[in-house]
Amino acid sequence: MGMTITEKIMAKQSGRDSVKPGELVWVDIESVMTMDYLGKTCFDKFKSLGKTEVFNKDKVICVSDHLIPPPNQKFANMLNEWREVVKENDITHFYDLGRQGIAHQIMVEQGHVLPGTVSIGTDSHANTYGAVGAVGNAVGVTDAAVAMATGKAWFRVPDSVKFHITGEWQPWIMGKDLSLHIMGMMHWNGHLIYKTLEYTGPAIASLDMAGRMTLCNMTVDLGAKNGIIAPDKTTAAYLDGVAKGEWEMIASDDDAKYEAVYEIDVTNLGPTVAKPDKLDDTVPVEELVGTKFNKAFVGTCTNGRLEDIEIMAKILKDKQVHRDVNMMLVPASQTVYLEALRKGYLETLIMAGVAIDTPSCAACAGIHTGVAGDGDIVLSAGNRNMKGRMGSKNAQIYLTSPAVVAASAVKGEITDPRTFAA
Amino acid sequence: MIKGKCWVADDYVMSYNMILQEYWTAPIDPEENSKWVMAGVDEAFNKENGFKDQGYTFIVAAHNFAGGGKSIEHVVAGLMGAGIKAVFADSFARLQFRNAINYGLPFVTCKDIVKGFETGDELSYDPATGAIENVTKGTEFNSVPAAPFVADVGAAGGLMNFVRDKIAKGEPIG
Ligand code: SF4
Repeated sequence: MGMTITEKIMAKQSGRDSVKPGELVWVDIESVMTMDYLGKTCFDKFKSLGKTEVFNKDKVICVSDHLIPPPNQKFANMLNEWREVVKENDITHFYDLGRQGIAHQIMVEQGHVLPGTVSIGTDSHANTYGAVGAVGNAVGVTDAAVAMATGKAWFRVPDSVKFHITGEWQPWIMGKDLSLHIMGMMHWNGHLIYKTLEYTGPAIASLDMAGRMTLCNMTVDLGAKNGIIAPDKTTAAYLDGVAKGEWEMIASDDDAKYEAVYEIDVTNLGPTVAKPDKLDDTVPVEELVGTKFNKAFVGTCTNGRLEDIEIMAKILKDKQVHRDVNMMLVPASQTVYLEALRKGYLETLIMAGVAIDTPSCAACAGIHTGVAGDGDIVLSAGNRNMKGRMGSKNAQIYLTSPAVVAASAVKGEITDPRTFAA
Repeated sequence: MIKGKCWVADDYVMSYNMILQEYWTAPIDPEENSKWVMAGVDEAFNKENGFKDQGYTFIVAAHNFAGGGKSIEHVVAGLMGAGIKAVFADSFARLQFRNAINYGLPFVTCKDIVKGFETGDELSYDPATGAIENVTKGTEFNSVPAAPFVADVGAAGGLMNFVRDKIAKGEPIG
């Protein structure tokens, strides 16, 4: 019987001809990512295993993203310890302040994740790596330490669920809208716990890499083990000159077995918004038009990419952010930042009254720049909206696409971007 | 055989409520993490050692225990520090399920177990057979005993010890 792409990858990386869902396998890891606030613990744990050198200095990727630049002494001290430990272990790829980005963006954009392989990271959104046809998985520091020492991690082979996406993307409709639509349909941490989600079909073939990253990124919030999109021409073009190694095309067999298959046509998909507190409480934007808010945020590992900034710039060109709204953009990496600068998007946004901050996780997890205070109503292009996520427990967070955030920022109330000329 | 009293939880006990945001950057340490574990789950636990002082040995929960997509190990470390020896639930979120295996804390999937249990009931659990007895209510449940790999990791006292031992002996891990 045939195998799904995830099964094929797990078989290949564990040196077997085939694997079945439910089996436990130790797989070879392509890259292990860890970042500023957990990295020191990873290295300490790694050391305690009795090894002096990591399995491969080019494949342990270290990133500063949650705490930089340090807003207080506690974070400054943590960062100093972190830098020390990265240096001690002579790690080749260290993306620290000045070369930084959100870890998941860095892993894909800098080619540390290769199609057909398995990479892990000590942060929940490592599922993002599925966008280039890899198994990307979030783990705790223990698994990362073991992988640093041995180049391996254990996995239970998951059941696969297929999302077959068809139709034509309409103007202003983004991967994020599909992601939120699926969230509403399948429920937050609901039926998809422990599954691998495979996105296929013509509307995935026509989706850019940024949209694919958004889709795979949020599979963790569906409770899934990983999300994956088989590599194709778009993947090859994206990785050209970037990939840190050789890779081959890989895809599911025609007779692969899926636990369930869902069909979605994006032709009628509209802008979608998740209401405060629950990710799966999603509605078409029409239902919320007119809702006031005072903070707008675009950034994060979900929506801080060049394509996201481009769509904001298109909407905000020659317009002004409403005087009652504070709007912030935090590009996902220095590379994204520079590209957006070169293309003139940042100038457009600054002229419109958008504040731009240096790449980091920023307010996303409520521990860095731009956190929400009591009574704030935030319209965010991030990934989580539970109480207290961005700071105050007395703030409300609506999640949506960068297009909806930009259009709404002009009006000062939730607005359908389709009212702007495409 | 493990014996002790249980705390019965609802659906969707979330990791970010088990360990609140302000402790995410703290060191992973069962003793430390247990002081504030569960602080956001129930007002009654929101004081130092609020959960730990209840003296529970087991947690019985429903769907998606330890969900919300956080990979921090403070959650499992905190439960262990608070004296929890096993958690029974309809389903677990994968990140913490994995951490639990790696720390050797049994997260036991047991459908519908939450029905008919009350906080404070005395239980006994035999990890070797998977048998769970509610001594207070006089009822019995079966669960699947841990897979061999999981049992080996548990017997070694967690994945770190398991792998350390393999490395010291020069044996392959998988
Ligand atoms: S941007 Fe947000 S979700 Fe992504 S890694 Fe940073 S804190 Fe986590």
